[in-house]
Amino acid sequence: MGIRYIKEPGLSDPVMIAAWPGIGNIGLIALDTLRRSLRAEQMAYIEPCEFFYPKKVIIRGGELVELDFPASDFFYHRSGRRDLILFIGEEQPAEGGGVYAAGSMAYSMANLVLDVAEKYGCSRVYTSGAAVAPIHHTARSRAWAVPNSANLIAEFKGYDNTVLMSDIEGRGGEGNIAGLNGLLLGMARRRGIDAVCIMGEIPVYLQGFPFPYPKGSKSVLEVLSAALDMWLDMEVIDELARQSESELTRLYEKLPDEIKLQLDRLKESTVGAAESEGLITEDDKKKILDDIDKFFKRDAGGDQH
Amino acid sequence: MSGEQTVRLSDGPDLKGSVLIVAWAEDASSLGVQAVDYLMQSLDCREFGEILPEGFFPMGGVNVVDDVARFPESRLYMCDSNNLVIFKSSIPRMGWHRFLTSLLDVAQRDCSVKEIYTLGAMISPAAHTVPRLLISIVNSREIKAALEPYNIMADNDYETPPGQKPTLSSYLAWLAGQRGIPAVNLWVPVPYYLVTIDDPRSVKRLVYFFNSKYDLGVDFTALDAVITEQNSKIAGLFEKSPEIKNMVRRLEVGEGLDGEESERLAREIAEALK
Repeated sequence: MGIRYIKEPGLSDPVMIAAWPGIGNIGLIALDTLRRSLRAEQMAYIEPCEFFYPKKVIIRGGELVELDFPASDFFYHRSGRRDLILFIGEEQPAEGGGVYAAGSMAYSMANLVLDVAEKYGCSRVYTSGAAVAPIHHTARSRAWAVPNSANLIAEFKGYDNTVLMSDIEGRGGEGNIAGLNGLLLGMARRRGIDAVCIMGEIPVYLQGFPFPYPKGSKSVLEVLSAALDMWLDMEVIDELARQSESELTRLYEKLPDEIKLQLDRLKESTVGAAESEGLITEDDKKKILDDIDKFFKRDAGGDQH
Repeated sequence: MSGEQTVRLSDGPDLKGSVLIVAWAEDASSLGVQAVDYLMQSLDCREFGEILPEGFFPMGGVNVVDDVARFPESRLYMCDSNNLVIFKSSIPRMGWHRFLTSLLDVAQRDCSVKEIYTLGAMISPAAHTVPRLLISIVNSREIKAALEPYNIMADNDYETPPGQKPTLSSYLAWLAGQRGIPAVNLWVPVPYYLVTIDDPRSVKRLVYFFNSKYDLGVDFTALDAVITEQNSKIAGLFEKSPEIKNMVRRLEVGEGLDGEESERLAREIAEALK
Protein backbone atom coordinates (compact mmCIF):
# COMPACT_ATOMS: atom_id res chain seq x y z
CA MET A 1 0.00 0.00 0.00
CA GLY A 2 1.53 3.30 -0.97
CA ILE A 3 2.23 5.91 -3.56
CA ARG A 4 3.40 4.98 -7.04
CA TYR A 5 5.24 7.75 -8.89
CA ILE A 6 4.84 7.92 -12.65
CA LYS A 7 7.24 10.87 -12.76
CA GLU A 8 8.88 13.02 -10.13
CA PRO A 9 8.91 16.56 -11.54
CA GLY A 10 10.92 19.37 -10.00
CA LEU A 11 8.40 21.88 -8.67
CA SER A 12 8.83 25.43 -7.45
CA ASP A 13 7.14 26.49 -4.17
CA PRO A 14 4.16 24.20 -4.85
CA VAL A 15 0.72 24.29 -3.27
CA MET A 16 -1.49 21.21 -3.08
CA ILE A 17 -5.23 21.20 -3.78
CA ALA A 18 -7.20 18.04 -2.96
CA ALA A 19 -10.77 16.96 -3.59
CA TRP A 20 -12.96 13.91 -3.09
CA PRO A 21 -16.61 13.24 -3.97
CA GLY A 22 -19.20 14.78 -1.66
CA ILE A 23 -22.45 16.73 -1.69
CA GLY A 24 -23.01 18.19 -5.18
CA ASN A 25 -19.47 17.02 -6.04
CA ILE A 26 -18.52 20.65 -5.59
CA GLY A 27 -14.86 20.13 -4.77
CA LEU A 28 -14.42 17.39 -7.34
CA ILE A 29 -15.93 19.46 -10.17
CA ALA A 30 -13.83 22.48 -9.20
CA LEU A 31 -10.61 20.51 -9.19
CA ASP A 32 -11.35 18.51 -12.31
CA THR A 33 -12.18 21.71 -14.18
CA LEU A 34 -8.90 23.19 -12.95
CA ARG A 35 -6.97 20.07 -13.97
CA ARG A 36 -8.42 20.17 -17.47
CA SER A 37 -7.96 23.90 -18.00
CA LEU A 38 -4.34 23.77 -16.80
CA ARG A 39 -3.72 20.50 -18.68
CA ALA A 40 -2.12 19.19 -15.52
CA GLU A 41 -0.19 15.95 -15.98
CA GLN A 42 -0.43 12.89 -13.80
CA MET A 43 2.62 12.36 -11.60
CA ALA A 44 1.55 9.67 -9.13
CA TYR A 45 -1.30 7.61 -7.74
CA ILE A 46 -2.18 5.86 -4.52
CA GLU A 47 -2.37 2.09 -4.87
CA PRO A 48 -6.08 1.38 -4.51
CA CYS A 49 -6.37 -2.26 -3.43
CA GLU A 50 -6.27 -1.82 0.32
CA PHE A 51 -8.54 1.22 0.30
CA PHE A 52 -11.32 0.33 -2.09
CA TYR A 53 -13.53 -2.44 -3.36
CA PRO A 54 -13.29 -2.77 -7.17
CA LYS A 55 -15.75 -0.63 -9.11
CA LYS A 56 -15.87 -2.49 -12.40
CA VAL A 57 -14.99 -5.82 -13.97
CA ILE A 58 -14.62 -6.37 -17.71
CA ILE A 59 -15.04 -9.88 -19.08
CA ARG A 60 -14.40 -10.71 -22.73
CA GLY A 61 -14.96 -14.15 -24.18
CA GLY A 62 -15.34 -15.57 -20.68
CA GLU A 63 -11.97 -14.17 -19.61
CA LEU A 64 -11.57 -11.62 -16.85
CA VAL A 65 -9.51 -8.96 -18.62
CA GLU A 66 -9.75 -5.98 -16.29
CA LEU A 67 -10.68 -5.05 -12.75
CA ASP A 68 -10.92 -1.31 -12.13
CA PHE A 69 -10.63 0.41 -8.77
CA PRO A 70 -11.56 3.97 -7.81
CA ALA A 71 -8.60 6.21 -8.69
CA SER A 72 -6.65 8.45 -6.30
CA ASP A 73 -4.40 10.44 -8.60
CA PHE A 74 -1.85 13.22 -8.22
CA PHE A 75 -1.34 15.74 -11.04
CA TYR A 76 1.12 18.61 -11.38
CA HIS A 77 1.19 21.93 -13.17
CA ARG A 78 4.13 24.29 -13.53
CA SER A 79 2.90 27.87 -13.58
CA GLY A 80 6.30 29.53 -13.72
CA ARG A 81 5.86 31.08 -10.28
CA ARG A 82 3.96 28.89 -7.90
CA ASP A 83 3.47 25.32 -9.09
CA LEU A 84 0.49 23.17 -8.25
CA ILE A 85 -0.08 19.59 -7.16
CA LEU A 86 -3.67 18.47 -7.61
CA PHE A 87 -5.01 15.39 -5.87
CA ILE A 88 -8.30 13.95 -7.10
CA GLY A 89 -9.84 11.00 -5.27
CA GLU A 90 -12.66 9.19 -7.07
CA GLU A 91 -14.00 7.77 -3.82
CA GLN A 92 -13.46 8.28 -0.08
CA PRO A 93 -12.14 5.17 1.68
CA ALA A 94 -15.09 4.48 3.95
CA GLU A 95 -15.16 1.55 6.34
CA GLY A 96 -18.59 0.00 6.77
CA GLY A 97 -20.14 1.37 3.60
CA GLY A 98 -20.46 5.10 4.42
CA VAL A 99 -19.98 7.84 1.83
CA TYR A 100 -17.37 9.76 3.82
CA ALA A 101 -14.00 8.49 4.87
CA ALA A 102 -13.73 7.14 8.37
CA GLY A 103 -11.52 4.88 10.45
CA SER A 104 -7.97 3.72 9.96
CA MET A 105 -8.17 3.71 6.15
CA ALA A 106 -9.10 7.40 6.10
CA TYR A 107 -6.16 8.12 8.38
CA SER A 108 -3.82 6.14 6.11
CA MET A 109 -5.02 7.87 2.98
CA ALA A 110 -4.75 11.34 4.50
CA ASN A 111 -1.18 10.50 5.54
CA LEU A 112 -0.27 9.35 2.03
CA VAL A 113 -1.65 12.55 0.48
CA LEU A 114 0.29 14.64 2.99
CA ASP A 115 3.44 12.57 2.38
CA VAL A 116 3.41 13.88 -1.20
CA ALA A 117 2.74 17.43 0.00
CA GLU A 118 5.67 17.17 2.40
CA LYS A 119 8.01 15.51 -0.10
CA TYR A 120 7.51 18.42 -2.50
CA GLY A 121 7.63 21.07 0.24
CA CYS A 122 4.08 22.32 -0.30
CA SER A 123 3.64 25.50 1.69
CA ARG A 124 -0.10 25.07 1.84
CA VAL A 125 -2.77 22.44 1.25
CA TYR A 126 -6.30 23.25 0.11
CA THR A 127 -9.24 20.90 0.30
CA SER A 128 -12.60 21.69 -1.23
CA GLY A 129 -16.17 20.59 -0.69
CA ALA A 130 -19.74 21.73 -0.13
CA ALA A 131 -21.38 24.00 2.43
CA VAL A 132 -25.09 23.26 2.76
CA ALA A 133 -26.83 26.64 3.08
CA PRO A 134 -30.37 28.07 2.99
CA ILE A 135 -29.88 29.68 -0.41
CA HIS A 136 -31.79 29.46 -3.67
CA HIS A 137 -30.25 27.81 -6.72
CA THR A 138 -30.58 31.05 -8.68
CA ALA A 139 -28.41 32.87 -6.13
CA ARG A 140 -24.64 33.16 -6.30
CA SER A 141 -22.96 30.62 -4.01
CA ARG A 142 -20.50 31.97 -1.52
CA ALA A 143 -17.36 30.19 -0.42
CA TRP A 144 -16.86 29.23 3.21
CA ALA A 145 -13.22 29.10 4.23
CA VAL A 146 -12.00 27.05 7.20
CA PRO A 147 -8.26 27.32 7.88
CA ASN A 148 -6.31 25.07 10.24
CA SER A 149 -4.55 28.05 11.79
CA ALA A 150 -5.78 31.38 13.12
CA ASN A 151 -2.91 33.06 11.22
CA LEU A 152 -4.79 32.49 7.96
CA ILE A 153 -8.06 34.13 8.99
CA ALA A 154 -7.13 37.66 7.95
CA GLU A 155 -6.09 36.52 4.49
CA PHE A 156 -9.34 34.74 3.78
CA LYS A 157 -11.48 37.53 5.20
CA GLY A 158 -10.00 39.68 2.47
CA TYR A 159 -11.23 37.60 -0.46
CA ASP A 160 -14.39 38.49 -2.35
CA ASN A 161 -17.56 36.44 -1.70
CA THR A 162 -15.79 34.47 1.05
CA VAL A 163 -17.03 33.91 4.59
CA LEU A 164 -15.66 32.28 7.72
CA MET A 165 -17.70 30.10 10.05
CA SER A 166 -18.03 33.04 12.45
CA ASP A 167 -19.70 35.11 9.68
CA ILE A 168 -22.56 32.65 9.58
CA GLU A 169 -25.29 33.54 12.01
CA GLY A 170 -25.94 31.07 14.76
CA ARG A 171 -22.77 29.09 14.26
CA GLY A 172 -20.48 31.00 16.58
CA GLY A 173 -17.52 30.06 14.42
CA GLU A 174 -18.19 26.37 14.96
CA GLY A 175 -19.08 23.54 12.65
CA ASN A 176 -17.96 20.23 11.25
CA ILE A 177 -16.28 19.15 8.02
CA ALA A 178 -17.01 15.51 7.27
CA GLY A 179 -14.60 13.07 5.67
CA LEU A 180 -11.16 13.64 4.23
CA ASN A 181 -11.72 17.33 3.48
CA GLY A 182 -11.82 17.88 7.22
CA LEU A 183 -9.40 15.17 8.34
CA LEU A 184 -6.68 16.50 6.06
CA LEU A 185 -6.84 19.93 7.75
CA GLY A 186 -6.26 18.41 11.16
CA MET A 187 -3.49 16.09 10.04
CA ALA A 188 -1.75 18.83 8.05
CA ARG A 189 -1.68 20.92 11.23
CA ARG A 190 0.03 18.06 13.07
CA ARG A 191 2.75 18.20 10.41
CA GLY A 192 3.00 21.98 10.59
CA ILE A 193 1.50 22.54 7.13
CA ASP A 194 -1.02 25.35 6.62
CA ALA A 195 -4.27 24.04 5.20
CA VAL A 196 -7.60 25.55 4.27
CA CYS A 197 -10.89 23.94 3.27
CA ILE A 198 -12.85 25.99 0.74
CA MET A 199 -16.51 25.02 0.55
CA GLY A 200 -18.92 26.25 -2.09
CA GLU A 201 -22.51 26.77 -1.01
CA ILE A 202 -25.22 24.39 -2.21
CA PRO A 203 -28.94 25.01 -1.59
CA VAL A 204 -30.20 23.11 1.41
CA TYR A 205 -32.95 21.46 -0.66
CA LEU A 206 -30.42 19.86 -3.03
CA GLN A 207 -28.24 18.22 -0.39
CA GLY A 208 -29.98 14.85 -0.52
CA PHE A 209 -29.99 14.50 -4.28
CA PRO A 210 -27.27 13.25 -6.61
CA PHE A 211 -27.17 16.47 -8.64
CA PRO A 212 -23.78 18.06 -9.28
CA TYR A 213 -23.71 21.72 -8.32
CA PRO A 214 -21.11 23.59 -10.43
CA LYS A 215 -22.22 27.00 -9.14
CA GLY A 216 -20.69 26.02 -5.81
CA SER A 217 -17.59 24.79 -7.63
CA LYS A 218 -17.24 28.16 -9.32
CA SER A 219 -17.14 29.97 -5.99
CA VAL A 220 -14.37 27.56 -4.86
CA LEU A 221 -12.37 28.30 -8.01
CA GLU A 222 -12.78 32.06 -7.54
CA VAL A 223 -11.28 31.88 -4.05
CA LEU A 224 -8.47 29.61 -5.23
CA SER A 225 -7.72 32.00 -8.07
CA ALA A 226 -7.40 34.86 -5.58
CA ALA A 227 -5.44 32.91 -2.99
CA LEU A 228 -3.02 31.52 -5.58
CA ASP A 229 -2.83 34.88 -7.37
CA MET A 230 -3.43 32.95 -10.56
CA TRP A 231 -5.76 33.79 -13.42
CA LEU A 232 -8.09 30.90 -14.09
CA ASP A 233 -10.23 30.49 -17.18
CA MET A 234 -13.83 30.33 -15.91
CA GLU A 235 -15.48 29.69 -19.29
CA VAL A 236 -16.00 25.96 -18.74
CA ILE A 237 -17.29 26.22 -15.17
CA ASP A 238 -19.56 29.12 -16.19
CA GLU A 239 -21.09 26.94 -18.89
CA LEU A 240 -21.52 24.02 -16.47
CA ALA A 241 -23.16 26.36 -13.97
CA ARG A 242 -25.53 27.74 -16.62
CA GLN A 243 -26.57 24.25 -17.72
CA SER A 244 -27.07 23.15 -14.13
CA GLU A 245 -29.19 26.19 -13.24
CA SER A 246 -31.31 25.72 -16.32
CA GLU A 247 -31.87 22.04 -15.52
CA LEU A 248 -32.67 22.78 -11.88
CA THR A 249 -35.08 25.54 -12.88
CA ARG A 250 -36.85 23.11 -15.20
CA LEU A 251 -37.27 20.66 -12.31
CA TYR A 252 -38.22 23.51 -9.98
CA GLU A 253 -41.10 24.50 -12.22
CA LYS A 254 -42.56 21.03 -11.75
CA LEU A 255 -42.73 21.45 -7.97
CA PRO A 256 -46.15 22.00 -6.39
CA ASP A 257 -46.91 25.70 -5.77
CA GLU A 258 -46.84 25.22 -1.99
CA ILE A 259 -43.27 23.97 -2.05
CA LYS A 260 -42.17 26.57 -4.58
CA LEU A 261 -43.54 29.32 -2.34
CA GLN A 262 -41.46 28.00 0.54
CA LEU A 263 -38.34 27.75 -1.59
CA ASP A 264 -38.90 31.16 -3.19
CA ARG A 265 -38.38 32.67 0.25
CA LEU A 266 -34.76 31.53 -0.02
CA LYS A 267 -34.29 33.96 -2.93
CA GLU A 268 -34.36 36.78 -0.42
CA SER A 269 -31.84 35.27 1.91
CA THR A 270 -28.17 34.87 2.43
CA VAL A 271 -26.95 32.52 5.11
CA GLY A 272 -26.35 35.04 7.84
CA ALA A 273 -29.11 37.48 6.95
CA ALA A 274 -31.71 34.83 6.45
CA GLU A 275 -31.42 33.44 9.89
CA SER A 276 -30.82 36.73 11.66
CA GLU A 277 -33.83 38.38 10.06
CA GLY A 278 -36.02 35.40 10.78
CA LEU A 279 -36.90 34.78 7.14
CA ILE A 280 -35.87 31.13 7.30
CA THR A 281 -36.08 29.44 10.67
CA GLU A 282 -34.87 25.96 11.51
CA ASP A 283 -38.53 24.85 11.50
CA ASP A 284 -38.97 26.34 8.03
CA LYS A 285 -35.86 24.55 6.86
CA LYS A 286 -37.09 21.23 8.22
CA LYS A 287 -40.50 21.69 6.63
CA ILE A 288 -38.96 22.57 3.27
CA LEU A 289 -36.74 19.48 3.34
CA ASP A 290 -39.64 17.23 4.39
CA ASP A 291 -41.87 18.61 1.63
CA ILE A 292 -39.16 18.21 -1.00
CA ASP A 293 -38.45 14.70 0.17
CA LYS A 294 -42.14 13.77 0.02
CA PHE A 295 -42.45 15.34 -3.41
CA PHE A 296 -39.59 13.35 -4.90
CA LYS A 297 -40.76 10.13 -3.27
CA ARG A 298 -44.21 10.65 -4.81
CA ASP A 299 -42.59 11.47 -8.13
CA ALA A 300 -40.57 8.28 -8.02
CA GLY A 301 -43.83 6.43 -7.50
CA GLY A 302 -45.10 7.64 -10.86
CA ASP A 303 -47.41 10.52 -9.86
CA GLN A 304 -47.60 13.38 -12.36
CA HIS A 305 -46.95 16.98 -11.36
CA MET B 1 -3.12 -3.45 10.86
CA SER B 2 -1.39 -5.52 8.17
CA GLY B 3 0.85 -7.08 10.81
CA GLU B 4 -2.06 -8.56 12.75
CA GLN B 5 -2.69 -12.27 12.54
CA THR B 6 -5.61 -12.92 10.21
CA VAL B 7 -5.43 -16.71 9.87
CA ARG B 8 -5.50 -19.54 12.41
CA LEU B 9 -4.26 -22.90 11.19
CA SER B 10 -4.86 -25.69 13.67
CA ASP B 11 -3.30 -28.47 11.64
CA GLY B 12 -0.68 -27.92 8.97
CA PRO B 13 -1.91 -29.41 5.70
CA ASP B 14 0.49 -31.46 3.63
CA LEU B 15 -0.90 -30.97 0.15
CA LYS B 16 0.89 -30.57 -3.17
CA GLY B 17 -0.74 -29.17 -6.29
CA SER B 18 -4.14 -29.09 -4.63
CA VAL B 19 -7.40 -27.55 -5.87
CA LEU B 20 -9.17 -24.86 -3.83
CA ILE B 21 -12.98 -24.58 -3.98
CA VAL B 22 -14.52 -21.43 -2.51
CA ALA B 23 -18.19 -21.08 -1.50
CA TRP B 24 -19.82 -17.93 -0.09
CA ALA B 25 -22.55 -18.30 2.52
CA GLU B 26 -24.73 -15.49 1.16
CA ASP B 27 -25.15 -17.12 -2.24
CA ALA B 28 -28.62 -17.34 -3.83
CA SER B 29 -30.23 -20.69 -2.96
CA SER B 30 -27.11 -21.32 -0.76
CA LEU B 31 -25.85 -23.05 -3.87
CA GLY B 32 -22.10 -22.94 -3.32
CA VAL B 33 -22.33 -23.96 0.33
CA GLN B 34 -24.68 -26.85 -0.48
CA ALA B 35 -22.34 -28.06 -3.21
CA VAL B 36 -19.24 -28.03 -0.98
CA ASP B 37 -21.23 -29.56 1.89
CA TYR B 38 -22.19 -32.44 -0.37
CA LEU B 39 -18.59 -32.86 -1.49
CA MET B 40 -17.38 -32.83 2.11
CA GLN B 41 -19.98 -35.41 3.14
CA SER B 42 -18.93 -37.64 0.24
CA LEU B 43 -15.19 -37.28 0.74
CA ASP B 44 -12.98 -37.59 3.79
CA CYS B 45 -12.61 -33.91 4.80
CA ARG B 46 -11.56 -32.18 7.99
CA GLU B 47 -11.31 -28.58 9.12
CA PHE B 48 -7.78 -27.23 9.40
CA GLY B 49 -8.11 -23.50 9.94
CA GLU B 50 -10.00 -20.26 9.56
CA ILE B 51 -9.66 -16.63 8.65
CA LEU B 52 -10.35 -14.71 11.83
CA PRO B 53 -13.31 -12.29 11.70
CA GLU B 54 -11.73 -9.15 13.16
CA GLY B 55 -11.22 -6.45 10.58
CA PHE B 56 -13.50 -8.15 8.06
CA PHE B 57 -16.91 -8.13 9.77
CA PRO B 58 -18.63 -5.53 11.96
CA MET B 59 -18.34 -6.50 15.59
CA GLY B 60 -21.52 -4.72 16.64
CA GLY B 61 -23.52 -7.83 17.59
CA VAL B 62 -24.95 -10.89 15.85
CA ASN B 63 -27.72 -11.59 13.38
CA VAL B 64 -30.47 -14.00 14.36
CA VAL B 65 -31.59 -16.36 11.57
CA ASP B 66 -34.19 -19.09 12.10
CA ASP B 67 -34.18 -18.35 15.84
CA VAL B 68 -30.42 -18.86 16.12
CA ALA B 69 -27.70 -16.24 16.61
CA ARG B 70 -25.29 -16.39 13.68
CA PHE B 71 -21.74 -15.15 13.61
CA PRO B 72 -19.69 -14.84 10.43
CA GLU B 73 -17.40 -17.81 9.77
CA SER B 74 -14.61 -18.33 7.27
CA ARG B 75 -13.41 -21.92 7.59
CA LEU B 76 -10.86 -23.99 5.72
CA TYR B 77 -11.21 -27.74 5.15
CA MET B 78 -9.00 -30.26 3.44
CA CYS B 79 -9.70 -33.60 1.82
CA ASP B 80 -6.20 -35.12 1.82
CA SER B 81 -6.91 -38.16 -0.27
CA ASN B 82 -8.43 -36.07 -3.06
CA ASN B 83 -6.00 -33.15 -2.81
CA LEU B 84 -8.90 -30.73 -2.29
CA VAL B 85 -9.07 -27.61 -0.11
CA ILE B 86 -12.48 -26.14 0.60
CA PHE B 87 -13.10 -22.64 1.89
CA LYS B 88 -16.58 -21.87 3.16
CA SER B 89 -17.12 -18.29 4.25
CA SER B 90 -19.45 -15.43 4.90
CA ILE B 91 -18.78 -12.53 2.54
CA PRO B 92 -16.56 -10.03 4.38
CA ARG B 93 -18.02 -6.55 4.87
CA MET B 94 -14.69 -4.68 4.86
CA GLY B 95 -10.96 -5.28 4.39
CA TRP B 96 -11.64 -7.31 1.25
CA HIS B 97 -8.12 -7.12 -0.14
CA ARG B 98 -6.52 -8.30 3.10
CA PHE B 99 -9.13 -11.05 3.45
CA LEU B 100 -8.56 -12.43 -0.05
CA THR B 101 -4.80 -12.00 0.26
CA SER B 102 -4.88 -14.02 3.50
CA LEU B 103 -6.79 -16.78 1.73
CA LEU B 104 -4.37 -16.80 -1.20
CA ASP B 105 -1.39 -16.84 1.18
CA VAL B 106 -2.72 -20.01 2.83
CA ALA B 107 -3.59 -21.49 -0.56
CA GLN B 108 -0.13 -20.83 -1.99
CA ARG B 109 2.11 -21.26 1.06
CA ASP B 110 0.38 -24.05 2.97
CA CYS B 111 -1.56 -25.96 0.31
CA SER B 112 0.47 -25.43 -2.90
CA VAL B 113 -2.82 -24.73 -4.67
CA LYS B 114 -2.60 -25.05 -8.46
CA GLU B 115 -6.19 -24.08 -9.35
CA ILE B 116 -8.98 -22.14 -7.67
CA TYR B 117 -12.72 -22.43 -8.26
CA THR B 118 -15.41 -20.17 -6.82
CA LEU B 119 -19.05 -21.26 -6.84
CA GLY B 120 -22.08 -19.06 -7.29
CA ALA B 121 -25.70 -18.85 -8.42
CA MET B 122 -27.21 -16.50 -10.98
CA ILE B 123 -30.92 -15.76 -10.99
CA SER B 124 -32.57 -17.18 -14.10
CA PRO B 125 -36.06 -16.74 -15.61
CA ALA B 126 -35.96 -20.35 -16.83
CA ALA B 127 -38.12 -23.20 -15.48
CA HIS B 128 -36.77 -25.69 -12.96
CA THR B 129 -37.27 -28.51 -15.45
CA VAL B 130 -34.63 -27.30 -17.93
CA PRO B 131 -31.09 -28.74 -17.63
CA ARG B 132 -28.77 -26.58 -15.54
CA LEU B 133 -26.08 -24.71 -17.41
CA LEU B 134 -22.61 -24.17 -16.03
CA ILE B 135 -21.01 -20.82 -16.89
CA SER B 136 -17.35 -20.02 -16.34
CA ILE B 137 -15.34 -16.83 -16.00
CA VAL B 138 -11.60 -17.49 -16.01
CA ASN B 139 -8.46 -15.52 -15.31
CA SER B 140 -6.30 -17.22 -17.96
CA ARG B 141 -6.62 -18.73 -21.43
CA GLU B 142 -4.87 -21.90 -20.28
CA ILE B 143 -7.53 -22.77 -17.71
CA LYS B 144 -10.26 -21.90 -20.20
CA ALA B 145 -8.79 -24.44 -22.62
CA ALA B 146 -8.54 -27.02 -19.83
CA LEU B 147 -12.31 -26.68 -19.18
CA GLU B 148 -13.35 -27.30 -22.79
CA PRO B 149 -14.27 -31.00 -22.33
CA TYR B 150 -16.76 -30.25 -19.54
CA ASN B 151 -19.70 -28.69 -21.40
CA ILE B 152 -19.35 -25.25 -19.88
CA MET B 153 -20.52 -21.95 -21.38
CA ALA B 154 -17.23 -20.12 -21.49
CA ASP B 155 -17.56 -17.20 -23.92
CA ASN B 156 -19.53 -14.55 -22.10
CA ASP B 157 -18.92 -10.81 -22.40
CA TYR B 158 -19.82 -8.66 -19.41
CA GLU B 159 -19.11 -5.25 -17.87
CA THR B 160 -20.30 -4.20 -14.43
CA PRO B 161 -23.30 -1.89 -14.99
CA PRO B 162 -23.19 1.58 -13.39
CA GLY B 163 -24.28 1.53 -9.77
CA GLN B 164 -23.26 -2.11 -9.26
CA LYS B 165 -20.01 -3.65 -8.04
CA PRO B 166 -18.07 -6.70 -9.20
CA THR B 167 -18.51 -9.92 -7.23
CA LEU B 168 -16.00 -10.99 -4.59
CA SER B 169 -15.40 -14.07 -6.72
CA SER B 170 -14.21 -11.86 -9.60
CA TYR B 171 -11.96 -10.00 -7.18
CA LEU B 172 -10.46 -13.30 -5.94
CA ALA B 173 -9.88 -14.55 -9.48
CA TRP B 174 -8.16 -11.29 -10.40
CA LEU B 175 -5.88 -11.40 -7.34
CA ALA B 176 -5.11 -15.07 -8.03
CA GLY B 177 -4.17 -14.08 -11.58
CA GLN B 178 -1.69 -11.54 -10.19
CA ARG B 179 0.05 -14.47 -8.50
CA GLY B 180 -0.11 -16.69 -11.56
CA ILE B 181 -2.70 -19.05 -10.05
CA PRO B 182 -5.38 -20.12 -12.56
CA ALA B 183 -8.86 -19.38 -11.20
CA VAL B 184 -12.40 -20.05 -12.42
CA ASN B 185 -15.66 -18.47 -11.29
CA LEU B 186 -18.36 -21.11 -11.86
CA TRP B 187 -21.94 -19.85 -12.07
CA VAL B 188 -25.17 -21.83 -12.32
CA PRO B 189 -28.36 -20.03 -13.39
CA VAL B 190 -30.97 -20.96 -10.74
CA PRO B 191 -34.71 -20.59 -11.52
CA TYR B 192 -35.83 -17.41 -9.79
CA TYR B 193 -38.58 -19.18 -7.86
CA LEU B 194 -36.04 -21.50 -6.23
CA VAL B 195 -33.58 -18.78 -5.22
CA THR B 196 -34.87 -18.52 -1.66
CA ILE B 197 -35.36 -22.27 -1.33
CA ASP B 198 -33.04 -25.05 -2.56
CA ASP B 199 -32.13 -26.11 -6.05
CA PRO B 200 -30.61 -29.60 -5.80
CA ARG B 201 -30.30 -29.85 -9.61
CA SER B 202 -27.91 -26.89 -9.58
CA VAL B 203 -26.03 -28.45 -6.67
CA LYS B 204 -25.72 -31.64 -8.67
CA ARG B 205 -24.44 -29.74 -11.72
CA LEU B 206 -21.57 -28.31 -9.68
CA VAL B 207 -20.73 -31.53 -7.84
CA TYR B 208 -20.93 -33.46 -11.13
CA PHE B 209 -18.37 -31.12 -12.68
CA PHE B 210 -15.85 -31.62 -9.87
CA ASN B 211 -16.50 -35.36 -9.83
CA SER B 212 -15.80 -35.58 -13.58
CA LYS B 213 -12.77 -33.31 -13.59
CA TYR B 214 -11.02 -34.71 -10.55
CA ASP B 215 -12.35 -38.27 -10.52
CA LEU B 216 -13.62 -37.99 -6.95
CA GLY B 217 -15.92 -41.02 -6.96
CA VAL B 218 -18.84 -39.08 -5.46
CA ASP B 219 -21.99 -41.08 -4.76
CA PHE B 220 -24.99 -39.10 -6.08
CA THR B 221 -27.67 -41.30 -4.52
CA ALA B 222 -28.56 -38.88 -1.73
CA LEU B 223 -28.64 -35.87 -4.04
CA ASP B 224 -30.78 -37.72 -6.58
CA ALA B 225 -33.21 -38.59 -3.81
CA VAL B 226 -33.55 -34.88 -2.90
CA ILE B 227 -34.18 -34.04 -6.57
CA THR B 228 -36.80 -36.78 -6.83
CA GLU B 229 -38.53 -35.56 -3.69
CA GLN B 230 -38.58 -31.97 -4.96
CA ASN B 231 -39.94 -33.11 -8.33
CA SER B 232 -42.64 -35.08 -6.59
CA LYS B 233 -43.74 -32.14 -4.44
CA ILE B 234 -43.88 -29.83 -7.47
CA ALA B 235 -45.82 -32.48 -9.42
CA GLY B 236 -48.29 -32.56 -6.54
CA LEU B 237 -48.69 -28.81 -6.81
CA PHE B 238 -49.27 -29.11 -10.57
CA GLU B 239 -52.06 -31.59 -9.95
CA LYS B 240 -53.76 -29.27 -7.51
CA SER B 241 -53.18 -26.14 -9.61
CA PRO B 242 -53.23 -26.39 -13.42
CA GLU B 243 -52.57 -22.62 -13.51
CA ILE B 244 -49.20 -23.06 -11.83
CA LYS B 245 -48.40 -25.94 -14.16
CA ASN B 246 -49.25 -23.71 -17.11
CA MET B 247 -46.99 -20.94 -15.82
CA VAL B 248 -44.05 -23.36 -15.62
CA ARG B 249 -44.83 -24.65 -19.11
CA ARG B 250 -44.75 -21.07 -20.40
CA LEU B 251 -41.33 -20.57 -18.79
CA GLU B 252 -40.15 -23.80 -20.42
CA VAL B 253 -40.90 -22.41 -23.89
CA GLY B 254 -39.36 -19.02 -23.08
CA GLU B 255 -42.56 -17.07 -22.49
CA GLY B 256 -42.31 -14.54 -19.71
CA LEU B 257 -44.74 -14.17 -16.82
CA ASP B 258 -46.10 -10.85 -15.61
CA GLY B 259 -45.17 -9.56 -12.16
CA GLU B 260 -48.25 -10.91 -10.42
CA GLU B 261 -47.86 -14.36 -11.99
CA SER B 262 -44.15 -14.46 -11.11
CA GLU B 263 -44.90 -13.66 -7.49
CA ARG B 264 -47.66 -16.24 -7.31
CA LEU B 265 -45.48 -18.96 -8.83
CA ALA B 266 -42.64 -18.24 -6.38
CA ARG B 267 -45.05 -18.15 -3.43
CA GLU B 268 -46.85 -21.39 -4.28
CA ILE B 269 -43.66 -23.31 -5.12
CA ALA B 270 -42.15 -22.16 -1.80
CA GLU B 271 -45.28 -23.32 0.01
CA ALA B 272 -45.24 -26.70 -1.74
CA LEU B 273 -41.56 -27.30 -0.94
CA LYS B 274 -41.81 -26.44 2.74
